[in-house]
Amino acid sequence: MRVITDMMAFGADKVPQWNTISISGYHIREAVSTAVQELAFTLGDGFAYVEAGIAAGMDVDSFAPRLSHFFNSHLDFFEEVAKFRAARRIWARRMKNKYGAKDPRSWLLRFHTQTAGCSLTEQQPENNIVRTALQALAAVMGGTQSLHTNSMDETLALPSEKAVKIALRTQQLIAHESGVPYITDPLGGSWYVEWLTNTMEDEAEKYFSKIDELGGMIRGIEDGFFQREIGRAAYEYQQALEKEERIVVGVNKHVEEAEDLKIPLLYIDESAGEEQAERLSALRARRADPAPLLGSIRAACENGENLMPHLIEAAKGDATLGEIVNAMKDVFGEYREAAEF
Amino acid sequence: MERKIRILICKPGLDGHDRGAKVVASTLRDAGFEVIYTGLRQTPEMIVRDAIQEDVDAIGLSVHSGAHLTIFSRVMGLIDKEGAGHILVTGGGIIPDQDMPKLTGMGVGRMFRPGARSDEYIAYLEDEIGRRRLEREAQEV
Repeated sequence: MRVITDMMAFGADKVPQWNTISISGYHIREAVSTAVQELAFTLGDGFAYVEAGIAAGMDVDSFAPRLSHFFNSHLDFFEEVAKFRAARRIWARRMKNKYGAKDPRSWLLRFHTQTAGCSLTEQQPENNIVRTALQALAAVMGGTQSLHTNSMDETLALPSEKAVKIALRTQQLIAHESGVPYITDPLGGSWYVEWLTNTMEDEAEKYFSKIDELGGMIRGIEDGFFQREIGRAAYEYQQALEKEERIVVGVNKHVEEAEDLKIPLLYIDESAGEEQAERLSALRARRADPAPLLGSIRAACENGENLMPHLIEAAKGDATLGEIVNAMKDVFGEYREAAEF
Repeated sequence: MERKIRILICKPGLDGHDRGAKVVASTLRDAGFEVIYTGLRQTPEMIVRDAIQEDVDAIGLSVHSGAHLTIFSRVMGLIDKEGAGHILVTGGGIIPDQDMPKLTGMGVGRMFRPGARSDEYIAYLEDEIGRRRLEREAQEV
């Protein structure tokens, strides 16, 4: 939280056009949460950051316009569109009513979307192009500001050039050929999408009440509440697949035995790690001793000075990420998640 | 089988993709296995130490980071050093075809990739561990 509030304060003061943080639900959904959990837990995190900023003495309108969100887009098309719509409604309402934001830009929920890696299959990987296209379309119809489309081969390897290009072309096709981006909220007014948006808002509100009962987001994380909720959803999802209550083409229906893989795959061998280790040793040999820079990070952690200028100086002085993080750990300690399943 | 199968499910290194490990842990528990889950960011040393202390039949390593060859070879080296060759080392994740023979060559058991069904890996563990237990008993007699 300290790093977050320092980043928001530094951004507001020194780099006002910078999106200070990307409040992520992507990893939550990739751990196979439900759409409602992704919605509620991501916004819950966002509100916790807003509260921390206010508690650190900042005016909410000084940092809120530069907050940005990061969502997943999964396969249930209308549910995804409704999730994005519900997120915007909840954010605007709370920022205005609960946190007293007056600048309309603080009410806007701007977001990036990445299609769902966890929805892709190793079986018949070319089908993943279609999955990604549907997910990307849902994100655009839901009003995303930016988009990442996954490559078809991501369950097999790091993506090949060909797979990445098709993923990029999928976006370009939606942008230039589908006509969809020219309309704002094209599904607004559809009885089904409006009903679903309302339902998801209500479900998210139930989670917010639960989080309040638990004593807030941080307590919820420490108690393992979110990890358990998401883990349970992931297990139920897998059970539904195995019982064929949920169909995934190529995995539990329309399966092809003895598949012949026809796409190129990128192969990275162990030399990649060795080369990086060599680059790192060379850097360590030629740079000036970073100890004073790391010392100033430790001092700032302790005395409450904004950390950002110290982190930037350390990076300029070729301190490694590991060294920088370890300097902060010396003061703050380290979070360890309880190993629950 | 008279004694329940004990398995250590692990996430080595900095790889945070733990959904598969957790789902497999839950599935094995429901299938009657005794499951110990290490949580994230384990070193090969921690994994082999835990496996020996917990007297497990098998170690299941989940690797999505691309570091599987390095990690499995270190784990196998430590297993060998500790004389714990009776422990089956198996796992899953994003493992390219061309690395499969290399893992087999190290003595690693079957690997399970995305889309693997629970009945497949449960049957594999029961068969392989049953076989290893019989072998061990035969040696002890």
